[in-house]
Amino acid sequence: MNHSIETENLSLWYGDFQALMDVSVKIPDGQITSLIGPSGCGKTTLLRCFNRVNERYGNVTTEGKIEVLGKNIYDADVSLPELRKAVGMVFQRPNPLPISVYENILFGLRIHSPMRSITRADADEIVEEALKSVFLWTDLKDKLKTRATSLQLEQQQKLCIARLLPLKPKIILMDEPCSALDAKGTRAVEELMEILAGTYTFIIVTHNMAQARRVSKECIFMFLGELIEHRETQALFTDPQHEKTSDYVHMRYG
Amino acid sequence: MNAMMTRALRKQERVSQCITFIILGSVGIPIWNVLQKTYAADTEAASAATPLNTLSPPLDNLYTVLSISFVAILFGIACAFYLQEWLPQTNWVRRFIESIVAILGGVPSIFYGILATGIFFSYAGTLKTIGVVRAPQGPGDGAALESLSFPHDTPVFYIVVLTFILMVMPLTIKTTQAALRSVATPIREAAYALGASHWQVLKTQVIPIALTQILAAGCRAMSSALATVALIFGIYVWQYTDAPGEMSNRFVLFLSSALLFSIFSSILIKLCTSASADPAHPTR
Ligand SMILES: Nc1ncnc2c1ncn2[C@@H]1O[C@H](COP(=O)(O)OP(=O)(O)OP(=O)(O)O)[C@@H](O)[C@H]1O
Ligand SMILES: [Mg+2]
Repeated sequence: MNHSIETENLSLWYGDFQALMDVSVKIPDGQITSLIGPSGCGKTTLLRCFNRVNERYGNVTTEGKIEVLGKNIYDADVSLPELRKAVGMVFQRPNPLPISVYENILFGLRIHSPMRSITRADADEIVEEALKSVFLWTDLKDKLKTRATSLQLEQQQKLCIARLLPLKPKIILMDEPCSALDAKGTRAVEELMEILAGTYTFIIVTHNMAQARRVSKECIFMFLGELIEHRETQALFTDPQHEKTSDYVHMRYG
Repeated sequence: MNAMMTRALRKQERVSQCITFIILGSVGIPIWNVLQKTYAADTEAASAATPLNTLSPPLDNLYTVLSISFVAILFGIACAFYLQEWLPQTNWVRRFIESIVAILGGVPSIFYGILATGIFFSYAGTLKTIGVVRAPQGPGDGAALESLSFPHDTPVFYIVVLTFILMVMPLTIKTTQAALRSVATPIREAAYALGASHWQVLKTQVIPIALTQILAAGCRAMSSALATVALIFGIYVWQYTDAPGEMSNRFVLFLSSALLFSIFSSILIKLCTSASADPAHPTR
């Protein structure tokens, strides 16, 4: 089996606080992998390593190796825009840009292509295709000019997924994508992930164990910056190998 | 919040904005009158060409001071961008400048006004005592005017200019930084995560969002510069002229343009706060 992401002894410090300790993990291609663990165990941190958005904090030191799509992302010849084009990210709170729905979807393409190189017809087609892939087209086809921030939260979050698609990413990172949504919105986003899973590799951080069981094929359990267990989701939940995992999946840590 | 409520709020907004514009207009018309009168007085004075009636030298100085303040405001905006967007919070230069700005920015601009006025007039006083210029013989004597006009290369001119820069820069830096900070992190992160470069994030997101507030910051600073110039004129009128006609016109002119700038900046601020308080665009 191929791996989209491989880390080896990845350690990360915020200042002198160590948030990740020797994490070695292989994320399989074209599947949904979930990342669970108690609050503050470094799930977000690990996720943010994969497209190097962590570096923006300024006080971050990283050690070890991260290979994304077979390439070490700390190599000198890696271009950050290209990396982030290949590795999309969806955040905990839907964060569409405060511009129109239409421009939100084109934003990624526009920053990656020379000025005015996208024709109007192409743009229309790209927007339509992206919105259709996330099943928003019928709802939004008459609202393309409205501000994306005025949509319902669920639509906003789907839009945040849709705006990644024109860039043709290989991997989509999701940090608690449903925590701001209600049950219906959650279900909609989950279904969307399941449909897209063949085409994209998903990594989803979640506090909702039922969600991890529903959507993911493999599951990673982390605890205080360490990777404790990484197995098939069903196996991890029904037959945890580590005491900490078993405590967690049986809700023994709030 | 329900739709009815929202509509009521919007209506309130509109009404209050209309009222502000009416106030603005009613201030604007007298200013326009004064402007035209001063212009007429200036051309008259110039054609009369007697040094006693010349009003331009001190004015000349103050106009220079104003244009330098304007440049200082632009420079302050640039500084704020550099501090906020390029230097990390831990950088000592940033911390140093920010602490200076915090101290100076808290000083009400009237103190700078008094300081500048003091320098302006005490210098004239010094010149009188050392006999470089003739002391005014009586009210309305043209010598008083002469004594108040400094060649642009004298140190005192630079001290006055420096006072103005010290006044407008911290104000601009502080408010511009606040405007930049108000662009929510999630927006920036969204753009970065899509692969935008720092410059692209600034150009496509940060600047469009913060522009109104930055403009407001500039206007506020310009307003305090104008008010200070008005103060200098006011004191001049009060001290040195007995027929304060044209001079007090100028005083009114500067003071009212200061007021205009300040109202304009408040309107800008109002506009952007009402945009972000719009329930359809929740802030986070
Ligand atoms: N920018 C930062 N600077 C310093 N410490 C940080 C920073 N971000 C996170 N941390 C710390 O690193 C640890 C891991 O944080 P992280 O956000 O990755 O946890 P998490 O597993 O995502 O938690 P949650 O479930 O609450 O989202 C926490 O102890 C947190 O306090
Ligand atoms: Mg987190």
